[in-house]
Amino acid sequence: MFVSDFRKEFYELVHNQRVLLFVASDVDALCACKILQALFQCDHVQYTLVPVAGWQELETAFLEHKEQFCYFVLINCGANVDLLDILQPDEDSVFFVCDTHRPVNVVNVYNDTQIKLLIKQEDDLEVPAYDDIFRDEAEDEDLSGSDSDGSEPSEKRTRLEEEIVARTTKRRQRREWEARRRDILFDYEQYEYYGTSSAMVMFDLAWMMSKDLNDMLWWAIVGLTDQWVHDKITQMKYVTDVGILQRHVTRHNHRNEAEENMLSVDCTRISFEYDLRLALYQHWSLHESLYNTSYTAARFKLWSVHGQKRLQEFLADMGLPLKQVKQKFHSMDVSLKENLREMIEESANKFGMKDMRVQTFSIHFGFKHKFLASDVVFATTSLMESPEKDASGTDHFIQALDSLSRSNLDKLYLGLELAKKHLQATQQTIASCLCTNLVTSQGPFLYCSLMEGTPDVALFSKPASLSLLSRHLLKSFVCSTKNRRCKLLPLVMAAPLSIEQGTVTVVGIPPETDGSDRKNFFGRAFEKAAESTNSRTLHNHFDLSVIELKAEDRGKFLDALVSLLS
Amino acid sequence: MKALYEQNQSDVNEAKSAGRGDLIPTIKFRHCSLLRNRRCTVAYLYDRLLRIRALRWEYGSVLPNTLRFHMSAEEMEWFNHYKKSLATYMRSLGGDEGLDITQDMKPPKSLYIEVRCLKDYGEFEVDDGTSVLLKKNSQHFLPRWKCEQLIRQGVLEHVLS
Repeated sequence: MFVSDFRKEFYELVHNQRVLLFVASDVDALCACKILQALFQCDHVQYTLVPVAGWQELETAFLEHKEQFCYFVLINCGANVDLLDILQPDEDSVFFVCDTHRPVNVVNVYNDTQIKLLIKQEDDLEVPAYDDIFRDEAEDEDLSGSDSDGSEPSEKRTRLEEEIVARTTKRRQRREWEARRRDILFDYEQYEYYGTSSAMVMFDLAWMMSKDLNDMLWWAIVGLTDQWVHDKITQMKYVTDVGILQRHVTRHNHRNEAEENMLSVDCTRISFEYDLRLALYQHWSLHESLYNTSYTAARFKLWSVHGQKRLQEFLADMGLPLKQVKQKFHSMDVSLKENLREMIEESANKFGMKDMRVQTFSIHFGFKHKFLASDVVFATTSLMESPEKDASGTDHFIQALDSLSRSNLDKLYLGLELAKKHLQATQQTIASCLCTNLVTSQGPFLYCSLMEGTPDVALFSKPASLSLLSRHLLKSFVCSTKNRRCKLLPLVMAAPLSIEQGTVTVVGIPPETDGSDRKNFFGRAFEKAAESTNSRTLHNHFDLSVIELKAEDRGKFLDALVSLLS
Repeated sequence: MKALYEQNQSDVNEAKSAGRGDLIPTIKFRHCSLLRNRRCTVAYLYDRLLRIRALRWEYGSVLPNTLRFHMSAEEMEWFNHYKKSLATYMRSLGGDEGLDITQDMKPPKSLYIEVRCLKDYGEFEVDDGTSVLLKKNSQHFLPRWKCEQLIRQGVLEHVLS
């Protein structure tokens, strides 16, 4: 069931209890977890935090911990499948689920006792009505228990005829109802998409309890920006949520210009910026940033020589000397940096890039530390998915979680360096894929497969990095191809996961159109294709559109997918 | 040292009785070396006492047998005296019941602390009887006094945010 008053029905319940937190491995979940941890530490709620990367880990961790806790909080996992079925909990366990995955499974919505959803109902959820899906089981028993009459034959005959007629009409009605139910459920569960960021939901809870701080607001901003960077929400929703957060930012960070500055310069402050869309440009050189941001790389077609010439024309148009642009951003001439944003926006308009600037937030603390929200998102994602062999998944999770605190700036800077490498690797892979025409059309979708010897392929076996690569590849492909039909196709991408076990990670992303609603049907499509061909797949990730597949079954799986979608 | 002392003694007697003045530098030299040896021994014994005192803070009031084996009887007596004076001091602090200052290594700042598990430890009892499973890389928010022991052993790590 949906929780309407977060404070009374969630926080006051867990206030005096011990709680177990299951946190998924994405930046939004990390931010929501940080906010909730801060609230719990303020109120001395004893909790245990367990990072989980997939369904199997969730199940194992639940089995290990279930005797010790009654209250479980799941962050960014668990809303889109039947939780009670998977976890088989005891009668008195209560689950609080704060998840952005939609559609929310109907069992989770209509269970009144054990599953409480910390999801706002203003999100367009479109949950089917109760009567359309669930039916009292008691009605069915009337059909079966009826042959026990023992009275006179003639009366019995008429009564029997009436009963037979009644039974057949009931059976027909039931079959119609079941067919309608199947259709409704199919429509409801067909497309996967994402709702409001969990970090924003947690921040709202903190605000309702008047315990919100600037730090928590920053985490909420990072959570929202993570959804935008990874293309999980539409542009409209992003702008609306930015508006909501901007009100909080002005509330916490107002500067009264009339009086002298009461806070010293090195205190934390968050400010709203209408800043450039270039990734990490303030921690890198402008040239590298233009080269490695997917927006500019796709529009300029930087994988071709012609594209690189256009980039140089662009820089010349603005009057920025090449030597300056290739230096670190901090060392650029101040005269050039002053009007940089407006200059770039003007020139970008001339070259066909209308959305060069985007609404976002930045944080300043200390005398020299300034970060944009997207910088932090890239840094934390790289820390979480860095392909080091000796560290386990949970080590990366802990490192990424630590990097979000302001006292662990060294980890954040390490993350920024890793992010630069990742972005470069992504762009190089895209360039090589496009130049060697690895993206082929299979009919209803495009397909691309990374070979094993490709550099940095270890990085792309992780789900978030592979998804990001696929989205950028699709954007670049759409800009590069002349075929109008191909521009509207979705993309399926495969990358080798483990050579010993012979598995590949497969990701499906929706087509790239300007007004797309980012709804992804590949989750269900992959399930059906795997069932029909008996391919050995593992649907372990919380995003149902990312699966692991045995390399030998790849051919028949793709064929099944083609026939399913055409 | 005894040998040196005896030699010195005999020389002193000889010098006094036989009036041999040339033995005096030898006597002085032996005396100085005797004094030096005494200083070294005393420094060694003092260092042992300091280490025994640190043992009280590390292990509590009962020492393991392996350690007691290496201490002499006088050192045990000194240890017991030290224990008694520490206990009297602790009882005199903090009102009626006294304050156990050997519990926390640094002055505590809060009732509950955030700890991270560095290795798999297994189940751990908390005050109200329930237990917590300590697995590698899980984080917990537990009362300070329960975690001190494990932090000292290196199983848990205090997370400062």
